[in-house]
Order: sequence, then C-alpha cells, then structure tokens
Amino acid sequence: MTAHRIMPRTRFLFVLAAGAAVVLAACGGAGESGTAGDARSGRLTIGVAFETLQTEFWVAAWNALQARAAERQITLLEAVSDGDPAKQLDQVRTFLTRRADGIILVPKDGKTVIPMIKAANAAGVPIVLLNRPADATDAAHTVVAPDNATITRDTVAYLIQQARRSNPRVKAAILVGDLSDVNAVGRRDGFEAAVADAGGSVDVVARIPTDWNQEKALAGLQTALQAHPDIGLIFSSSDFMFPSVKSVLSAAGRWKKAGEPGHVVLGGFDGDATAWRLMVDGYVDATGVQDVFFEVDAALRAILDATQGRIPPPRIADPGFVLTQANRASLEARTWGAIVAKQGQ
Amino acid sequence: MTSDESWIARAKHRGPRTLADGSAFMLAVNVAAFAAFAIALPDFRSPANLATVLVSSLPLLLLATGQTFVLVSAGIDLSSPALVGLVSVCGGLVMSADVGWLANHPAAVPVGLLAMLATGTAAGAANGFCVARLQMPPFMVTLTTAMFAGGLAVWLVHAVAQTETLFNLPEVFLALGRHGWVDGPLAVGAAFVAHVILARSLVGRWLHALGYNARAAYLSGVPTSRVIVCAYALSGLFAALAAVLLTARLETASPSHGRPLLLDVIGAAVIGGTSLAGGRGSVLWTAWGVLFLAMLGNGLTLLNLSDFVITIIKGLVILTAALLDQWRRHWRTTSASVADTVIA
Repeated sequence: MTAHRIMPRTRFLFVLAAGAAVVLAACGGAGESGTAGDARSGRLTIGVAFETLQTEFWVAAWNALQARAAERQITLLEAVSDGDPAKQLDQVRTFLTRRADGIILVPKDGKTVIPMIKAANAAGVPIVLLNRPADATDAAHTVVAPDNATITRDTVAYLIQQARRSNPRVKAAILVGDLSDVNAVGRRDGFEAAVADAGGSVDVVARIPTDWNQEKALAGLQTALQAHPDIGLIFSSSDFMFPSVKSVLSAAGRWKKAGEPGHVVLGGFDGDATAWRLMVDGYVDATGVQDVFFEVDAALRAILDATQGRIPPPRIADPGFVLTQANRASLEARTWGAIVAKQGQ
Repeated sequence: MTSDESWIARAKHRGPRTLADGSAFMLAVNVAAFAAFAIALPDFRSPANLATVLVSSLPLLLLATGQTFVLVSAGIDLSSPALVGLVSVCGGLVMSADVGWLANHPAAVPVGLLAMLATGTAAGAANGFCVARLQMPPFMVTLTTAMFAGGLAVWLVHAVAQTETLFNLPEVFLALGRHGWVDGPLAVGAAFVAHVILARSLVGRWLHALGYNARAAYLSGVPTSRVIVCAYALSGLFAALAAVLLTARLETASPSHGRPLLLDVIGAAVIGGTSLAGGRGSVLWTAWGVLFLAMLGNGLTLLNLSDFVITIIKGLVILTAALLDQWRRHWRTTSASVADTVIA
C-alpha cells in the first residue's frame, strides 16, 4: 500500500517540477537575448541601479541614460532598489557576477553605498555615483553631482531680492529634505548662506523637515502658515514638493501669480516639469536646475574612460544654473523639466 | 463499513494532500526553479551568483524563521522588520566609533551584540505579553510595535547622534557581514537550532497544539501564555540576528534597515507551507520558501526584468501560496468530516 501511495505522488511532483522548469526555461530563453549575452559579445555592458524612480528627476535621468546608452551601443543592466540599501548591494553583486564593465549607481545615502563601492573595487569594476556622493571613504569611485549649496544660494539670493521688492523685511520658510541625503544638506546650507548674506533682512520662521515626503511637507507648511500667515518667501528643497505648497497656499488664499497682491515668492530646486509649468504660469519665481543631461553624459564618459585605461576624476561637478522668470526663455532648451513637460503635452 | 472501504474513502481525498505537504512540494518547486534558471541563464549557475543568492537571503531566512514560530502558534508578527531597524540603531549607539557609548572600547562589540540581541528579544517578549496576557489581537499589537520601534529608532539616532545613520562600526563586527563563511554558518546554524526546537522539542509540540486548537491545548495542560510569549520572543531574537547581519553587511546602523522585508518575511513562510491559520509549519519549509524567493528575485533580475515586474511576480507567487494555504485548510476540514462520517 505504501508503494501505491508514494508512486503517484512522486510522479506528480516530478511532472510538476518538469513542467515548471519548461515554462521558466522558456521565459528565460526569451529574455536572455540582449542581456547577459551582451557581456560576452564584446559590447560594453553597464549596470545601472537607482534607489528610486518615484520623482520626475529620477525618471528623467533614467530615460536619459537609456537614450545615451542606446546612442553609444551600450547595453544597460537595470535595477531599482525602492529605497532598500541591502537590495541595492545585492543588485551590485549581481552586476558583478554578470561581468558588467561598469556600474552607475544612485545610492540611498552616502554611508550604505560604501560596501557597494568596495565590492566594485574588489572586482576591478569602475563605479560612478550619480547625483548623490558617498561619505568620506578611500574606496575608488567617481561622483557626478550638482553643487547643491552654490546653486541653492544663488537661487535663494534671487528669491530674497524679489521678495524685498514688496517688503524690506521678509519672513521665509524652507522645506528641508531628508538630511541623510547630502543633496538635502547642501541645499539647506545654500539656503542658510543666502539668508546670512541678506544681512538680517530675512527672518526664517519655519524650517520644515519633510524627509522627502509630500504629506509631511503639506502638514508642516500648513502649521507654519497658521503660525505665520505673513510668510512672504517659501523655498522647497525639491520641486516635487510644489503640489503640497500649492495645496496649502490655495487653502490659505495665497496662491497668487507673481505681481498679484499677496503673492508668496516661491522657489525650488531640480528644474522639473512641474516647476517649469508653474513658472510658465507665473506662480514660481525661480528654481535651481540640475543639468541631468550633463550628469548622465559625464557618468557614461567616466565609465568609458575607465574601461579604456584612463582614470576618471573622483568628482565631476554639475554646475547647474538658476532658472528665473527673466532668463526662462533663453534657458528652456537646457532645462530637462521643460523637455519633459513638452513631451507630456 | 469495512476497513478497506474506510481506506478508499480517505484515499479519495488524498489528492490535494500532495500539494499540501509543504516540504516535498517546495523541494520540487525549488529544483524546478533552479533547473529552469540554470538552463536559461548561464550567469545564474555561476558559483559567484549562487553565492550571492545564498548570502543575500540570510537576513530573510532569519526573519522568516522567527516568523514561523509565531505563525505556527496562530499569531502573526508584523513588527519584526521594524525591530531590525531599532536593534541596528541600538547596536550602533553602543559600537560606533563616532558617537557610540563604548566607542573604540575593547568591549564594544560583545556589549553591542548583547544589546542588540536583548533589545530584539525584549521587544518580541513585550509583543507576546500583550497577546497572551492582555488578550490583544496579534495584528494590532505587532503593528503598533512596528510603528513604535520605527519611531523610537529614528528618535534615538536624532537625539543621541544628531544624524540619520551611524557609521564607523568596529572592524570585528563588520567581519560578521563581510564574509559568507562567517554569516552563512551563523544564520544557517541559528535556523537549524530553530528547526530542532520547532520540530523536535516539547515547546515545538506545544506551539503546534496551540496553533491547531488553543482551547484544546489549554485544557491539555499546555502553558499557553508562556508558549505565546516564547514564540514572539524568539521572533524578536531572530529579528535581532537579522539586524546584526544587515548592519554588518551595510557597515551602517540605520532605522530603515529591514523595513522593506515585511511581505517577503511572511511570504517566505507561507510559500514554504506554514499555515496562516496556525498549527502547521516548519523552519525547513520556510527555508525552502526563502530559497525560492531568493532564486526567483535573482533569476528575474538576470532576465533584466524591471523591478516593478519582479515585484508583481513575487506578489502573485505569495498570493498563490496564500490561496494554496486556504485550499489546504478547506481540504483538511472537509476530509476530517468525511472521514468521521465514513468511520461512523
């Protein structure tokens, strides 16, 4: 009886396993062309691991990388870690086992990326950090990042100048990003430097922590505006939080175009499509723009240099620029958000 | 009715049990997945990639092992991934050369490890106390513990270190996550001990009895409250072990460690065949579930599928496992009633 019991069950499991194997193998066979095979076909292969694709900036950078890689006949191995550094470390290891020629990484923060850089160093694979630098480490890598502090300082200086036209004493608020992200720290420092340069004419009444979260930005700004209804200048450390700003100012009856009575001088950082549209509509006065195309080109160039035996510099600065109502028309072609906005029309 | 007729009646309901027997089924599925990916993707079967698959799955193995104890007792622990972050921060606050209380002290690593394991176990035991003694629903208790632990971890880092993450951990500690021959035996050994406890010990039998029928277990003399506290404490302890591995591997103590793993933790246990209704489960089955999820994630990544597609596929697999669990419970209930009718 025991034999009768076991045989059909074993056979069933065997058939099940074989069937699953065939299905998975079919899927695998279909997907292999153009992926791992390229690593052995002489075509350059670069692993690209992003921490997130949840904002326009990262989507624009992702799309720009794909387009530039296609132009250069480079195969990309792609991965997104959804804010999980452990998962990103595994993704980097997977790139290395697939013999990628280089790695471009957008890390979650400057500390957890260090084991990833060390893993790439150990495998002799060049690694470039896009937009977010690592903390101090002797592990070899290249960083392509904007000069957050300088671009923000220039942007906020322009905003203060605009705000002081209607009121010599300006009450200001800043939406601070996730301070484990050096970009957020740089932007906060740039804001504070501009305020200090203004020589006491700006009173910062709210420094609102957002952790790069729109809901936190909304709740924090609501509270700040209730406590200080005469806030005349708001700087958002990233343009993606403008919808929260709009929501709060609309509810308070302060969502006004530049030049209208009660207008709150608004500025941000990134230069995304939302900021571009709000600038065209006249609500946003200025934004600091990261040149995503420059950053992507520089990252790919650094990998190509490394694969050809040239040592890329440890840091490549994206100079960026300040987009204002005055220079908007002339800088449209360089503003990635303007291009994204046009594509979305 | 004769004994032969009785056997026939039972055998008619034997078919679904083939799918119900977690270990054999998951072994077959793992073999199938391995064979498929190995045939289709030469990179998959490379020793380096297989090492990556195994090493990357170790924190999940530890978390899912702890979860298995709780699931078998008919509970659920939604707090274990959040405890990883809290435990990681506690270790960092002791060991970090920048801000640690025992910075650069020879006792930093042993004390830090003890603090980590104690924090996890204490938090787990607190969960168990609320469930067993205060009769609170496990779902609510562990969900609020997850919120509390997450918030406390962030607050601790901000208040003590004025930063978001803690760095500069001792090299001896980092070695725990740097070499597969250290963290591999550590995690597998802990899981093996857990397997023996659940499958061979009196506590394991009590846990199964409790999960199958709590009232019957109580009437049979099982110390139900203590067993429940023990299950949650073990879940906390294994979360702490996972925190040790993740913190050492990422060379950083952070409140965010472990948080994205919740679905994978429960999914691995359920895929392995551990019942969400309790009374049925095994660490070995869970290990198969962990291995399957790790191979699936790695294989699909090698296929260059986007992360969104991989997440969808993993979600579907876990949903299928949960449906299978539901079917298995339904079959068990109906087969028992049919068998009773036949015997009568």
